[in-house]
Amino acid sequence: MSSLVGFLSLVFAIGINFYLFLSRYIFKFQKQKFNLFTRFSSLLTLLSFFSLMYAYVVSDFSNYNVFQNSHSNKPLIYKISGTWGNHEGSMLLWLSILSIFSFFFSFTKNIDESFKRLTLIIQSLLHILFGLFIIFTSNPFLVNSILVNEGLGLNPILQDPGLAVHPPILYGGYVGYSIVFSIAIAGLFQNTDDEWLYVAKKWSLISWTFLTGGIALGSYWAYYELGWGGWWFWDPVENVSLMPWIAGLALVHSLMMVRGEQAIKKWIIFLSILCFSLSVFGTFLVRSGILTSVHSFAADASRGIFILLIFFIVTGFGFLVFLLKEPKKSKTLNLLFINKVSALVINNILMIIATLTILLGTIYPIIIEVLYNKRISVGGPYFNATVIPIMIPGFLLMSIAPILSWQTNKIQNSKKYVLGFIILSVLVLIQSYFLNFNTWGFVGLLLGFWIILASIIAIFSSYNVKFNIKFFQIINPHIAHIGVGIAIVGITCSSVFQNELDFNLNEGDEFNVNGKKVIFEKIETTNEINFQSLRGNFLFDIEKKQSKKIEAGKNYYPVSKMITSEAGILHQWNRDIYFILGDQKNNEWFVKVLINPFVSFIWLGVVIMIYSGFIAVTKR
Amino acid sequence: MKSSHFFRILHITILSFMFFTFKIYALENIDERVKNLTLELRCMTCQNQSIYDSDAEFSNDIKKIVKQKLQAGESERDIKKFLVERYGEYILFRPLMNYNNIFLWSFPFILLIIGVFFVLIKTKTKKA
Repeated sequence: MSSLVGFLSLVFAIGINFYLFLSRYIFKFQKQKFNLFTRFSSLLTLLSFFSLMYAYVVSDFSNYNVFQNSHSNKPLIYKISGTWGNHEGSMLLWLSILSIFSFFFSFTKNIDESFKRLTLIIQSLLHILFGLFIIFTSNPFLVNSILVNEGLGLNPILQDPGLAVHPPILYGGYVGYSIVFSIAIAGLFQNTDDEWLYVAKKWSLISWTFLTGGIALGSYWAYYELGWGGWWFWDPVENVSLMPWIAGLALVHSLMMVRGEQAIKKWIIFLSILCFSLSVFGTFLVRSGILTSVHSFAADASRGIFILLIFFIVTGFGFLVFLLKEPKKSKTLNLLFINKVSALVINNILMIIATLTILLGTIYPIIIEVLYNKRISVGGPYFNATVIPIMIPGFLLMSIAPILSWQTNKIQNSKKYVLGFIILSVLVLIQSYFLNFNTWGFVGLLLGFWIILASIIAIFSSYNVKFNIKFFQIINPHIAHIGVGIAIVGITCSSVFQNELDFNLNEGDEFNVNGKKVIFEKIETTNEINFQSLRGNFLFDIEKKQSKKIEAGKNYYPVSKMITSEAGILHQWNRDIYFILGDQKNNEWFVKVLINPFVSFIWLGVVIMIYSGFIAVTKR
Repeated sequence: MKSSHFFRILHITILSFMFFTFKIYALENIDERVKNLTLELRCMTCQNQSIYDSDAEFSNDIKKIVKQKLQAGESERDIKKFLVERYGEYILFRPLMNYNNIFLWSFPFILLIIGVFFVLIKTKTKKA
């Protein structure tokens, strides 16, 4: 029953969007009515999504999609998240988020009404494209032809709280760029004033903030669930989410330039189209099954081709309009040797190079396979050797960029910065001399601390420090950059100064981790609702009264016959102690202990970036 | 004038530190070398994991082989060549610098050069 409601409301929603699209040419509409219809179709799409979710929650196995991807003895949260834990459901989620964005956009006030309508019509077109894609190739409302009372279960690796919320937030970013895309295209057609740039800025900040959150959740999940102690692998799926993120960052920075006199409209429109194209491209790569990863739920060629088609329509349409309706040349750029505009231009160039490099590295294996029928890998070492050096000048520049002037070449208080940089270099050098020296470690620490230090100097020497909302809005760029600096310190420490210890242990053995005594108490096995768990219990720092308990082990999911590893992590502010329980051989358990210094800084940095994303949205 | 001075100092400081760091870089022990090499190799039986990070049987075997070969004095290049002959180029996370991959490796730096030229041409050198 719920499947029928879901399907009908989806079809109806697409129908309304057809009507809205045609309304521009055939029917005449009052503007009030237009907005109401947009909202109505959004609500219908959401109704469709929630009826699928309902089918999951009540384990309605007469729905083929539920039967394939759910099981009645899962905890409720995974029944809910199971809705988007598969290809069909996740595409419906995509469409629903698109609708939500249209819904909220239809309430925008400070924008020309006909401009708004044009934007919403482009949104309608996207809704129609993706809606038809869902109905024809990935319908989540198919009826199960056989009568069953149990489902096949959800991939256990997806049964995790972090991953349950990861897709909606990530999609919030991906799909959020659809609005930015639509605004940009509307801006090409109806280039009256620059008011739309401010609206675009708001929406691109929202999308970027969601995307940051989504990526961070994904990598945090990889950190504690995949059990190898790292959090970023330059995996194609990660790259695919990083590309719109960097391009979106370039976009947000370009939109800052609107506040000065020079608007580089053309470039902003180009970036807006690029961001959404990369988002759709990412969806295509992930969903087509060309890339093997935990994300490719099912490899079905027709879907891949359909999404590829949508990708070409969206990108082709976007860039075609861009070429045909090129905006009139705005005022020339005031590029001085070093002022805010040139800093922003350099920032944009570097980010675009980084994005294109990641794009090439991600699809290069596919190109080589098609051309030479040979499989190659392009992995971390390639990206570390290309993307990171390219970004280094940008990191250096970002420390002082926010206080550069729009017009002139002068830097306020430049002596303070020079002095700060020299002192910092000496300190980092001394530090790295006493610890084991490493080039990347040195460069990373220096950059990270330099960004933090320069931002703090800037805050205290260039503004009157007050504690009210306005002040936090003004210093927001510095705060965001401090977040980046903290994250760079965390990334550097945790990757360069990671320490690994291997042990072969019996129950009851004592061993040393960084001078702290640890006891391997015992192995425990328990039966949970939908899995069996095997845990090694460790007591960390037994000489102290408050010793910490760490549990590391594996889960076995009988429904899908899969084993997942569950790392035991002791979080301290300055390091994570990461226990991995290996296999048992000759009555001894293999235990791997990783000491990851300052991992928490990465997440702290990301949280600060998300915070300043929100603050920036509140600012005009 | 002041600001260009600032950047010159910045530049010199960084370069001198870079130089300093590369000199110390050469000293590494054998486990360190095994780690650095196996981090760049794909575990063929896992999904997107390096041999160093993985505890699969395949990875443990390769780690042993790499260590033996390094102890026997073989260079990293020889070891990689040996592994590529056995398992194909797919095992290398760092793509070889060969004819096929010339575009892959040169692309970012070509872009960078174009970018630098763009900025240089567009930048006004006159003082405001």
